[in-house]
Amino acid sequence: MATEQLVVAPLLVALVTAILTLVVHRYVRAQKAVSALGGVAYVGAVAMLIQRVRSGAGSHGVEGVLTYQLSNWGAPFGITLVADDLSAFMLGLTAVVSLLALAFSILYVDEAGQRVSYHPLYHFMLVGVTGSFLTADIFNLFVWFEVMLMSSYVLVVFYSGPRHTKAALQYVVLNLVGSAFMLLAIGGLYSTTGTLNMADMARRLADPASFGITLAPVLGLSAVLFVVFALKAGIVPFQWWVPAAYRAAPAPVSAMLAGVVKKVGIYAIIRLYFTVFANAAPMDLALPGVVGESTLAFFGPVLFIMGAASIILGGVAAVNRDNVDDLLAYSSIGQVGFIVIALAFAAGGVVAGWQAPEPYGSVAVLGLAAALVYSLNHALAKAALFLASGAVYESVGSIEFEDLGGIAGRMPLLSAGFFVAALSLVGIPPLVGFFGKFLVFDAAVNAGSNLGIGLALLGAILTIAYVTRAWNRGFWGERSEAVEQATPQYGLFATVLVLAVVALGVGVAFDPVVEAAIDAANAALETGDYIEAVGLEDSLTSDGGGH
Amino acid sequence: MSYGDDTTVIARTVARITLPLVLVVAISLLFQGHNLPGGGFIAGVLTAAAFALVYIVFGMEYVQETIFGDEYEPDGSVAGPAVVDRYRTLFGVGLAVAAGTGLGAMAFGKPFLTHTDEVVKPSTEYVAWIPGADFIFGTLFKFHWATAFLFDIGVYFVVVGGLLAILAVVGGE
Repeated sequence: MATEQLVVAPLLVALVTAILTLVVHRYVRAQKAVSALGGVAYVGAVAMLIQRVRSGAGSHGVEGVLTYQLSNWGAPFGITLVADDLSAFMLGLTAVVSLLALAFSILYVDEAGQRVSYHPLYHFMLVGVTGSFLTADIFNLFVWFEVMLMSSYVLVVFYSGPRHTKAALQYVVLNLVGSAFMLLAIGGLYSTTGTLNMADMARRLADPASFGITLAPVLGLSAVLFVVFALKAGIVPFQWWVPAAYRAAPAPVSAMLAGVVKKVGIYAIIRLYFTVFANAAPMDLALPGVVGESTLAFFGPVLFIMGAASIILGGVAAVNRDNVDDLLAYSSIGQVGFIVIALAFAAGGVVAGWQAPEPYGSVAVLGLAAALVYSLNHALAKAALFLASGAVYESVGSIEFEDLGGIAGRMPLLSAGFFVAALSLVGIPPLVGFFGKFLVFDAAVNAGSNLGIGLALLGAILTIAYVTRAWNRGFWGERSEAVEQATPQYGLFATVLVLAVVALGVGVAFDPVVEAAIDAANAALETGDYIEAVGLEDSLTSDGGGH
Repeated sequence: MSYGDDTTVIARTVARITLPLVLVVAISLLFQGHNLPGGGFIAGVLTAAAFALVYIVFGMEYVQETIFGDEYEPDGSVAGPAVVDRYRTLFGVGLAVAAGTGLGAMAFGKPFLTHTDEVVKPSTEYVAWIPGADFIFGTLFKFHWATAFLFDIGVYFVVVGGLLAILAVVGGE
């Protein structure tokens, strides 16, 4: 039991921290201390959980998949939490980014701002993210999405100016519509398959005849659900909320939104479409342009088109932005495009059974590993860049390119952090970004997709273009008046540097990371293990949890 | 100083009569919530409705000065009137209670949020000679406790604190 209690530990640490910061909200210093301690404890809890999962601890005799039944109600009726390699990977990147963004917030958000519930909201957002990564119940996933979104609504409108309110209003309305669709799709899936537990759903979809399920509606409902996840991940054509929201939010919140919250959409796509829906019995899709009988045969091309459009639109739009935040926001649309086309190759790999060299074995694993490593790269690099943008704003007082110039000579530490993170985004060895791009290209080559290789190349060139422009306009060149009179904020620079060093460290010691990514990809594809670990293979009446 | 001069006598009298009723119904819903219709949420909403009635009929100053003994000074700050601070603390304490009941289960080695309940009946062994002892001690004084009730109390505080904070901030503007 003790090992399995660890599954819920990150969630509880974040929840308890959020509550404690709320209780002590009258004492700003105590609140900061509690918040910082909670951030550190969260990293500790995640590290312990990852250590247990990676060392092969498991439930119901399945190595590396820990399950936990909340309230002691057995699966499939109670809510199951599952920590496998995939969840562990996502939690790991969340922990790193959240701690540094939190450290940045404590130095960056002014006293009055911290008094107005910044810390409770931040930790509640973390609760939502953690819950989304851990849950194995599709309705519970909706609940965690809401927890995450509710907090992010307030954090986006945090400065409450006209521009922020406009951006937040757009963000709120859009996500409310998205949530309504999500609820609709989940209700439909429940009435079609008769279950909300993801493992149970996968099991029933694999054997529809004996559970009396008609498969045809599942494809449509999963497509509705897909739209919602695409919206959260900010993929074309659901990308237009991204720039305004990221610009309006305080810098550390933008770092969290771009680095972590977007990845929740990516994670949900991997978990639901590769673990659950891919397992469905063959169905006659009879759709134009779709070859194959798996749901992924439909989502593969969809992912490819959306990813391709994101890469092009995000990259092109990022090139001529007027300020750092807009550039970074459009850049995240393009970068998430890379993740999504890697997923498209993985989907193709699942459908066609393409082989890839060891240690991957198949394009399915290679594509997913590429998507995960790229997610890690984007989380670290983009979070570092957003924090750098916040540090520039705090020091110089502006992030408009016309006010900037020559920061490199004036604030070398900050510039070094920005430079390393930007190189990671471009994909220069030995940074983690190089391996991310490399794996995406590798997946494209093994999938035999020349179009994919071309797109990735175009995306890489666009990345170089806008990163170079940001560097030239902001950090090199004539020192502007604002930069001359800047007051450097060294505490803020330190958090940027630490993130940049992590991006470098992950790249230098890449072996364990790629192993973790490959294991995570395998965990996403091993539906049988997932079902067994939840304790469902025997019979519906068996007592689910490990107790 | 008298309160609610700008409302009618009818409104003030009706408010005085209905207020205790509303609160009693709220508390009874709270107490039966763990195994009958009711619960912390609906009880909290009803309690907040009772406070809303007081706000409307007697004004915000009445609540702040008479119930909490604070000076009332309407200010334009984001945080709203001083009483909001109390509501926010109530909200936080409620969350702590609700989460605490979940964590309490873990102290007994059970998963988070596990709850338990038990029916306690006093022994009628020594009082069996009293006529109707079974009824009195077996039925009337039967006590059913459930840890879910503690969770409900937490929810109640959250709802009361949250709704009243919203009412006070929005009403104060």
